[in-house]
Amino acid sequence: MLQGRHRQNTTRTRRGNQNASRALRRARLAKAVFDKRAPRRTSGGRTIGPQDWLLYPALLCIVATFVLATDIPLPFGWDLPEPVWPMILAFSWPLIRPSYIAPFLLAGLGFFLDYFWGAPIGFYVLCLMAVYGVTLLIRSYIVGQDLWVVTVAYGLAVFLFFALGTILTVIDTGMVPRLISVFEQMLATGVLVFFVHALLERYLHADVRFN
Amino acid sequence: MSYGDNQPFENLKLPLTWGVMIIVAGVCVVGALMFLGDKRGGLDAASYGNRGGFDGVAAKSNNLLSTPAHVVGDGANWLDDYFFAADENRILKKKVAELEKYRDSYIQARELNRRYEVLLNLRTEPAVDTVTARSVSVSRGPFNNNRLIDAGASKKIKFGNPVINEHGLVGRVVGVSPDVSRVLMVTDVVSRIPVMVARSDARAMMVGDGGGFPRLEFVRGGKDVLKKGDQILTSGDGGIFPRGLPVGEARRGVDGVWRVDLYTNRAPIDMVKVLKFEDFSQLPRADEVLRTPLVTDVLPPPPPVNITGIGSSASASSAAPGFTPVNNGASSSSAASSQQTPVTRPKPRPVNNAASSSSASNPPPPAETSASASSGG
Repeated sequence: MLQGRHRQNTTRTRRGNQNASRALRRARLAKAVFDKRAPRRTSGGRTIGPQDWLLYPALLCIVATFVLATDIPLPFGWDLPEPVWPMILAFSWPLIRPSYIAPFLLAGLGFFLDYFWGAPIGFYVLCLMAVYGVTLLIRSYIVGQDLWVVTVAYGLAVFLFFALGTILTVIDTGMVPRLISVFEQMLATGVLVFFVHALLERYLHADVRFN
Repeated sequence: MSYGDNQPFENLKLPLTWGVMIIVAGVCVVGALMFLGDKRGGLDAASYGNRGGFDGVAAKSNNLLSTPAHVVGDGANWLDDYFFAADENRILKKKVAELEKYRDSYIQARELNRRYEVLLNLRTEPAVDTVTARSVSVSRGPFNNNRLIDAGASKKIKFGNPVINEHGLVGRVVGVSPDVSRVLMVTDVVSRIPVMVARSDARAMMVGDGGGFPRLEFVRGGKDVLKKGDQILTSGDGGIFPRGLPVGEARRGVDGVWRVDLYTNRAPIDMVKVLKFEDFSQLPRADEVLRTPLVTDVLPPPPPVNITGIGSSASASSAAPGFTPVNNGASSSSAASSQQTPVTRPKPRPVNNAASSSSASNPPPPAETSASASSGG
C-alpha cells in the first residue's frame, strides 16, 4: 500500500512538476509576446494560417474592385472612385511577414487587374511587385514604428506605384497620361491607408516567429 | 529578439527573405516579358481578343451588381415623371411648337440635298445597322479607360465597330466575346481618332490621355481653323469611323493645348449603340472607290439624236434642276460622236483606262453603233 501510494504520489508529483513547468513556459512566452502591447484579437490561441492574412484579404480586394467598377449612373455626373485595392496588400504583406505564397498571390491579383481593367498583360503585376519588393527590403525600418511613419511609407509606396505606372504607360503607348487623373487615382488609393493600419494591427504581431 | 524556445526559427529568417526576393525578381521578369509582348500601340483584334472568356464572367458579375441600382434608378425616374408630368407637358408643347417651324425646312433641305447628291454623283455613306447595349462595367483610371457592354458576337458585333450614345461618340469595340464586348473609350491613352472641325473643315487627330478631355493634335490649316466652341466631328479618314459622328466642342486647356469637351461628358454613359460599321471594305470595291467615274459610264444610253435639236436641249439644261442637267450634259458632251453615228450606246470603260482619263477634254469613249453591233452578232 505504502509503496503503491508512494509510487502514486511520485507519479502525481512528476506530472504536477511537468504541468507547472509548461505553465511557467507559457507564461514566459506570453509575457514576452504580449508584454507592453495591446491585446490582439488573435491572441486567443487561434492559429493564423495563410488563408487568414493572404487569401481572404485578396478575395476581398477582388470583390471591392468588382463593386467599384460597376457602372452605376450617379447624380451630378459623379463616378464611383477607382482605387487600386491590391496596393494595400502589396504594402502590408511584406510588413506582416515574408512569405513564399504572397508574391504569387500578388502576381495573380496583378493579372486580374490587367484583365479586368484592360491594361497590357503584366502592367499591374510589375507595379505591385515593385512595391512589394521595395517594402520587403525596408521592412525592418517600418515595422514597430509609429502610425504616422507607416502612413508616410504607404504614401511613398503609392507614389512609387503610380510613377512606375506612368513610366510603363509612356513605354507602352508613347503618351504621357494626364497627370491630374493620375493624381486623382493616387488620392483614392492613398485613402486606403486605414485598411493598411487595420491589417497590420490584426496580423503584424500575430505570429511571434517573425518578430 | 530571441524568445527562448523559438530560437531555432531564427535560422529560417534569412533564407526566407532572400527566397522571397528571388521569387519577386522572377515574377518581375515574367511580368516584364509579358508586358513587352502585349504592347497596345498597334491596336488590333489580337490585343484584347484573348480576354473574351474573362470579360464574359466579369460582365455577368457586374451586371448582377448594377441591376439593383438600375431598378432603383428607373423607379425614381418613374416617380419623378409622375409628379412632374404637368410641367413637363407644358414645356414639351412649347418645344413642339418651336420645332414644327424647322420640320418643313428640314424636309425641304433634305430633298434638295438628295438632288445635289444625285446631280454630283456623290457616293454617300451606306446605311449602318446598330445594336443597342448597356454598359455594365467601367474602368476609368488614368492608365486604362474602357467599358464592358452586354452585347457581343452573338449580335454580330465585330472588332472595330464604333460605339455612340445619345450625345456622341463613346469609343470603339476592341474585344468581342459571345455576349460581351469591350469598348475602348475615346479618352484612353491608346485612342487616336481622326476628327475634323465642322466650321472650317480642318483635320486633326484626337488623342486620349486618360482624362476626360482628349487632346487635339496635328491640327492642319491656318491659325483660325480652330476656335473655342467649334464642333468636332469624326472625319472618317482611315475608314475606322464613319464621317460626321458628333464628338464634342473645342476648348483650350490651362496648359494652352486644344482639347475636346466631349459630348458624352454631359451625362453618365448608360445605354450605348454599336454601329456595325467596319471599315472601307463595306463600301464598293477599291478600284471603284478610288476613281471618279466618267459621266458617260453612269448615264443611261442617250435617246436617238436629232442633230437640229441639240442646241435647244443644251440651252434648256441651264434652267432645269435635278436630273435633267445630267442627261442634257451627256447629250452635249457626246454630240461630236453622235454626229458621226446616228445611234450610239456608251460602252463601260475598263478601270485602267478610266483612271487615266477623267476630264471632259479627253477624247470621247469608244462608242458602239447599233448597226455594227448587229452586224457583229
